[in-house]
Amino acid sequence: MTTSLLAADLRALVAAGRMSLRQLRRYPTSFIGQVFWPVLLPAVWVLMGQAYSGGGDARALDAFASRSGTTGVTLFIFVGYAMYMWLSTLLWGPGTALRQEQMRGSLEAVFLTPASRLVPLFGPTLTNVVWVVFQLVVMGLAVWLLFGVALPLGGVLLTLLVTLAGLPAMYAMGSLFGAAVLRFGEVNPAVQFVRGALSLLCGITFPIVMLPDWAQLIAAAMPPTYVVAAIREALLKGATPLDLAPTAAILLGLAVIFGVLAVILFRVLEASARRTGMLGRY
Amino acid sequence: MDELRAALAIARKDIRHLSRYRFSVASSIFTPLYQGVLPALLFGASFAVGGKVVGLEKTIGTADLAGFIFLGGVISGLVATAFWAMAMSFRNEMEMGTLEPTWLTPTARETLVLGRALGGMFWFAVGQIGIFAVGIVFFGLRFRWETAYALPAVFIATVALVGVAYLLAAIVLSIKDANLFIDCTNFLFATASGVAFPVLLLPGALQPVAFALPTTYAMDILRQQALGTRPLFDPALEYLVLVVTTIVSIPIGLWAFRAADRRIRRLGTINQH
Repeated sequence: MTTSLLAADLRALVAAGRMSLRQLRRYPTSFIGQVFWPVLLPAVWVLMGQAYSGGGDARALDAFASRSGTTGVTLFIFVGYAMYMWLSTLLWGPGTALRQEQMRGSLEAVFLTPASRLVPLFGPTLTNVVWVVFQLVVMGLAVWLLFGVALPLGGVLLTLLVTLAGLPAMYAMGSLFGAAVLRFGEVNPAVQFVRGALSLLCGITFPIVMLPDWAQLIAAAMPPTYVVAAIREALLKGATPLDLAPTAAILLGLAVIFGVLAVILFRVLEASARRTGMLGRY
Repeated sequence: MDELRAALAIARKDIRHLSRYRFSVASSIFTPLYQGVLPALLFGASFAVGGKVVGLEKTIGTADLAGFIFLGGVISGLVATAFWAMAMSFRNEMEMGTLEPTWLTPTARETLVLGRALGGMFWFAVGQIGIFAVGIVFFGLRFRWETAYALPAVFIATVALVGVAYLLAAIVLSIKDANLFIDCTNFLFATASGVAFPVLLLPGALQPVAFALPTTYAMDILRQQALGTRPLFDPALEYLVLVVTTIVSIPIGLWAFRAADRRIRRLGTINQH
C-alpha cells in the first residue's frame, strides 16, 4: 500500500515537472531575458570593476586580491552573477509557484487531489534546473567571447558537480520561501527583498570579508555562500573535488535543515488554511 | 489651460494611487539602496588602498566613491521614471481595463504622458531626498556648492526624457511583451548614460550610442560640478549637445506616439494585451 502510494506520488511529481516544462515552452520570449540578463548584468559589473581598479592599477588589484583571494575580477563577478541568476529563477519560479496557483484559483483544486502536499511544494523545482544549466552555459560563453576568459575544463566539470551538490540545499531554501510567500501574499516585494538580502550576504559582487562580522555569520548559514565560494575555488584557484568535499557536506546538512523547515512551515500553513479557508483567497 | 488641468489631475491621481501603497513608497527608497548602492559601495571599497579608492581616482579624477555612486543613482532614477512611470503605465492601465475609457475623454493623448511625467517626478524627488538623506547620514555623502550649476542640465535631461517616454509609450502600446522590453531597454539606456561607470569604458562600437543620449551629458555635467570629475568634453559643448538632443527627442517622440495612437484606433487593439 505504502509503495503504491509512493509510486503514485512520484508519478504526480513527474507530472508537475512536465506541466511546468510545458509552461516554459508556451512563453518563448522568456528565453530572451534568460540570455540578456546573464550576459549584460555581470558585464556591467566587470566594467565597474575596471573603473574602480583604474583599468587594472596594480595597487588596486592587489587590494582586491587581499580581500577576495584572486585578481580575476571578471570571473569573480561572473561566478557571483551565476548565483544571482540562479536565485532569480529560483525565487520567481518555484518560490512563487504555490502563490501563482493560489492566484489562478487552481491551488484549492490541486489540494483536493489525493497526491501528497509535497508534490506542489517540490514539483516546480524539477524544471527550474533547465534554466540553471542554460544560464551557466550562456555565462560561460559570454565570459569567453566578451572578455577572453577561457574556463579550465577541470574547473567547468567541478562547477557542474558543485551545482549538483548545491541543488538540494538551494531548492529546499526555495521551497521554504515558497511556503512563506503563500502566507505573506505580496510576491514582488518578497522576491526583491529576499534576493537583495541574499545578494548582499552571499558574496555575489564583492568579497564577504567586506561585510561586518554579524552579517558574515548569517552568510555562513546560507547555501548560496558555499556554492559561490566553491565554484570560485574550482574556476579561479584550481581546487580538486577532495578540496571541496567539506563544502558538499555542509550543503547536504543545510539541505536537510531547510527542507525540514519548509515541510514544517507548509504543514502549519496548510492546517491554518483548512481552518480559515484562505487557499482560495488572495 | 484645460490640458494643464488635466495633466495636474493625472499627476494627482498617480500620487494618490502610490501613496496608498506605503510599502511601495518605502521600497522606492530602500530597494535602490540595498540592491544598487550598497553592493556597489562594498565592491568599490574592496579595491581601496589605505581607505582610498585610488583606481577610481585614476579613472575619473576623484576617489569619492559614494558621490560617484549616489549621483549615478540620480540619472538612473530619472531614466527609470521615464521608462516605468511615464511609458509603462499605459500598459498597466491597459491591463486594468481603464485605458480605453481614458482614450475616450476629450483630453489630448499627449497630455496623458505629461501628467504621468509630473506624478513620476514627484515620486522621483521623494525617493531621491530619502536616498540622499541616508547617504549623508550613513555614507558621508558630501557635494561641492558648484552642484547647483548642474541643476539646469538635470532639468533639460528631464525634458528630453519626456520625449523618450513618448517614443517608448508608442512601443508599449504596440507590442505584447512590454514588460520585458521596458526592463531591458531601461537597463541599456541607463548603462549607456554612464550611471554605473564612465562611458569611455564601453566597447568602441557602443560609445556613439552613449554620445547620442542626452542623459550622458547630464550625468557628466552633474559629476563634474558636484565631485570635480574629469569631463568627457568641454562643459559648454556638453550643454550645447544636451540642448540639441533634447530639441530633437521631443518631435521624434511625439511623431511616434501619434502614429501608434492612429494605429491602435484603426486596429481596435487598445483593450488587448
